[in-house]
Amino acid sequence: MQHNHFGRGALALALGMALSPAAHADEAALKSEIDALRAEVAALQAAVKQMQAGQAQAAVPPPATSAVAGAAPPPAAAAAVSSTAVAATAQPVAGDSALAGTTLWGYGELNYNRPTGNAGDTQADLRRAVIGFGHSFDESTRVYGEFEWEHAVASADDQGETEVEQLYVEHSLTGNYGVRAGLMLIPLGLLNEHHEPANYYGVERNFVETAIIPTTWREGGVAMYGTTDSGFSWNVGVGTGPDLGKWDPSSDEGRESPLGSIHQELQLAKAHDLSGFGALNWQGIPGLLVGAGVFAGKIGQDTSDFPADGAQLVLSEAHVRWQPGPFDLSALYTRGTISDTQALNLTYLGQPTPVPKAFWGGYAQGAWRALEWGRSSLVPFVRYEEFNTGAEYAQQPPGFGTPALPTERVWTAGANYYLNPNVVFKVDYQHFNYDDEALGYGNRFDLGLGYQF
Amino acid sequence: MRKSSATRLGVALPSIVGVMICLLAGGAVSLAHASGAPSPASLGRSIFHDASLSASGQMSCASCHVPARAHAQGNTSAVQAGGENLDVAGFRAVPSLRYLNFDLPFFFQKDGTPTGGFNRDGRADDLVEQARRPFLAAHEMGNVDAASVADKLSRAEYADAFRHVFGANVFADVDMAFLAALFSIASFESSARELHPFTSKFDLFLRGRLVLSTQELRGFALFNRPDKGNCAGCHPSTRQPDGSPPVFTDYTYDALGVPRNPEIAANADPAYFDLGLCGPDRTDLAERRDLCGQFKVPTLRNVATRQVWFHNGYFHSLKDALHFYVERDTHPERWYPVDAAGAPDKFDDLPAPLRRNVNTQEPPYDRRPGQAPRLDDAEIDDVIAFLGTLTDGYDDATGTADPARDVALP
Repeated sequence: MQHNHFGRGALALALGMALSPAAHADEAALKSEIDALRAEVAALQAAVKQMQAGQAQAAVPPPATSAVAGAAPPPAAAAAVSSTAVAATAQPVAGDSALAGTTLWGYGELNYNRPTGNAGDTQADLRRAVIGFGHSFDESTRVYGEFEWEHAVASADDQGETEVEQLYVEHSLTGNYGVRAGLMLIPLGLLNEHHEPANYYGVERNFVETAIIPTTWREGGVAMYGTTDSGFSWNVGVGTGPDLGKWDPSSDEGRESPLGSIHQELQLAKAHDLSGFGALNWQGIPGLLVGAGVFAGKIGQDTSDFPADGAQLVLSEAHVRWQPGPFDLSALYTRGTISDTQALNLTYLGQPTPVPKAFWGGYAQGAWRALEWGRSSLVPFVRYEEFNTGAEYAQQPPGFGTPALPTERVWTAGANYYLNPNVVFKVDYQHFNYDDEALGYGNRFDLGLGYQF
Repeated sequence: MRKSSATRLGVALPSIVGVMICLLAGGAVSLAHASGAPSPASLGRSIFHDASLSASGQMSCASCHVPARAHAQGNTSAVQAGGENLDVAGFRAVPSLRYLNFDLPFFFQKDGTPTGGFNRDGRADDLVEQARRPFLAAHEMGNVDAASVADKLSRAEYADAFRHVFGANVFADVDMAFLAALFSIASFESSARELHPFTSKFDLFLRGRLVLSTQELRGFALFNRPDKGNCAGCHPSTRQPDGSPPVFTDYTYDALGVPRNPEIAANADPAYFDLGLCGPDRTDLAERRDLCGQFKVPTLRNVATRQVWFHNGYFHSLKDALHFYVERDTHPERWYPVDAAGAPDKFDDLPAPLRRNVNTQEPPYDRRPGQAPRLDDAEIDDVIAFLGTLTDGYDDATGTADPARDVALP
């Protein structure tokens, strides 16, 4: 893009010089020269158009935000960072014909959390650094990959992680639908497929879409996706699912996120029981997004002598987002159930974290683009969440039941300051209705820095 | 240098020979499967039960590790006597050999927690090494050396089978013959289902085949609850990460401050202390005074069938053992000698400077005199009912469990 700007500037300068008074000596010659220049400009314009067309074909947008034609726009800050904008910033790898059609992209975030009640737990963390790539094999077939480092250092002696978040091949069958296969993000909620820091308000991802929908949730499988002229986009697939055998009743992980503690992330995943998922979104009215999704499947994975081998998971959600003018309003509700856990939970008697029968969460969020100057903007927001990771447990013999967990209610208020659409500074304050030190729940002040390209 | 080299060689040689034996035995196992010929495991079973291999001619492995008693002792003595005349007193209570094959070589976890190892102080790294000590210990089988064992082996009724498996000249090298015998016992312990049957009522419960009784469930909950028994803190009760059933030990070590046992002859000497990890039997950690008093966390499978409890066999009833757990700190005068003023000599089986090593942080030990124990008498009865579900050989038809039922398992 910079190169194109430079080219046009050079042309203008050349024209300006050509029209300067010092060049009036021979009007006919001048006219002839102008005609020649016009022809040259026309030729250059044609060449530029051709180059742009070639780039558009080669440029592979990052999958998290724009892989699906007609997919939902980024949830939180579409006005600031649209999927198109991200696609435009993806950098083609030039200079090597073998890499023609390849783009690199990425994002990262650094967070600072200061609990107001226990300042000694203040923490600064390079939360994640992500590099992604896309490569078009031809006009209809592409591959996407997303590679992530969490917590700065990943080694046997550190707490960081290195992970492949997405790796799949996508093939367009027509202009309106296609198929993909590999390790894919599950198309539930507003955040899971659009989890870059500039795409949501607040330093931390919202609780509902981390504790209940375990963003970033991915599974291996195959899916079909498509759009309709009436504004619908859809995505259905089958693939791996969580493994209930991974449940650790002595740990807090299952209380923090039931599905987050048993998802397999395609790491030597038990794959006897396949799950299915589907999502439908409608964007028939500009600025409005309405959608819902469901994920369901057996999660016992045919484990021998496992008392919950028949356990079924169903997680469903519905969401709406409306962006009238400078406002950005959204809401989401999600609920999950796991069946046939009675016998399994009996074997966990007395342990702190049995398997829940039901868990749910919902939030409402409002943001306002209060100030905007140049490419910068300031967007204050407020969000209210309720969620419960153990809302109900399977019935047990009298005296042995597990009481439901209390519902956590969180207010978050703060602002995203976009230095430009792809670099965001964040500040917020979060108020919890009860503290849970083990899970890090407690009133806190947060700062964050995020970027994407 | 010479000594060092010799030491290294001494360590290396058994390993090399062991590998050779493994290779030989591997072939032999295949042959055994193919032809019904004797195998190291079948020889191991014979050796395990052969009293002629002891100095007295009256003590085999099975004498102290009675198969019908879940491979633990069959009498109520705190420790067993052995030697040529069966009159040399022992030092520690007999552990069950069941589920021992799941143990790991001794190591320190990243946080410094000692873990794994065989014997109550973890000084043997595997079943082969573990099997060596009783043959030569003066207070057990009492053989003077490997040659003595090899000589007895060569005259055993299964000597020809031994030659068949390990080679016609196996007895020409006494160290080789002894090692072959140890390997045979280890093969038996690893492969025989009777030593790791997973046939308890709890195993059926874990598979969803039955539900424990109300009292057993209450006890199970108390066993697991971090604020009550907290037993699962060291004796995990959930499936292992690979999905296999729990063995009810995390293979770590703990100093519990079990009272000094006057039934142990060595304790007549007030200067003698069995300090577990740091000696006197184990010598490599003698300088780690912070580990003194720590003994390996045992499996709780078949714990209800034991005759005595803890490393020194101080307790003769499971109920007393559980009361000690929860009342050690609330009512120490019940468990330790008291002086004229009535003050208990708490943790009296450790020298005074080492008593700080005793675990007083985690429930149920985090109590003080005057506070209520973490479990009351009725709750202890519930936990005992649950521990009874860990006994092998459960018969659903009669509702009874007997480890002897597993002895016939292959």
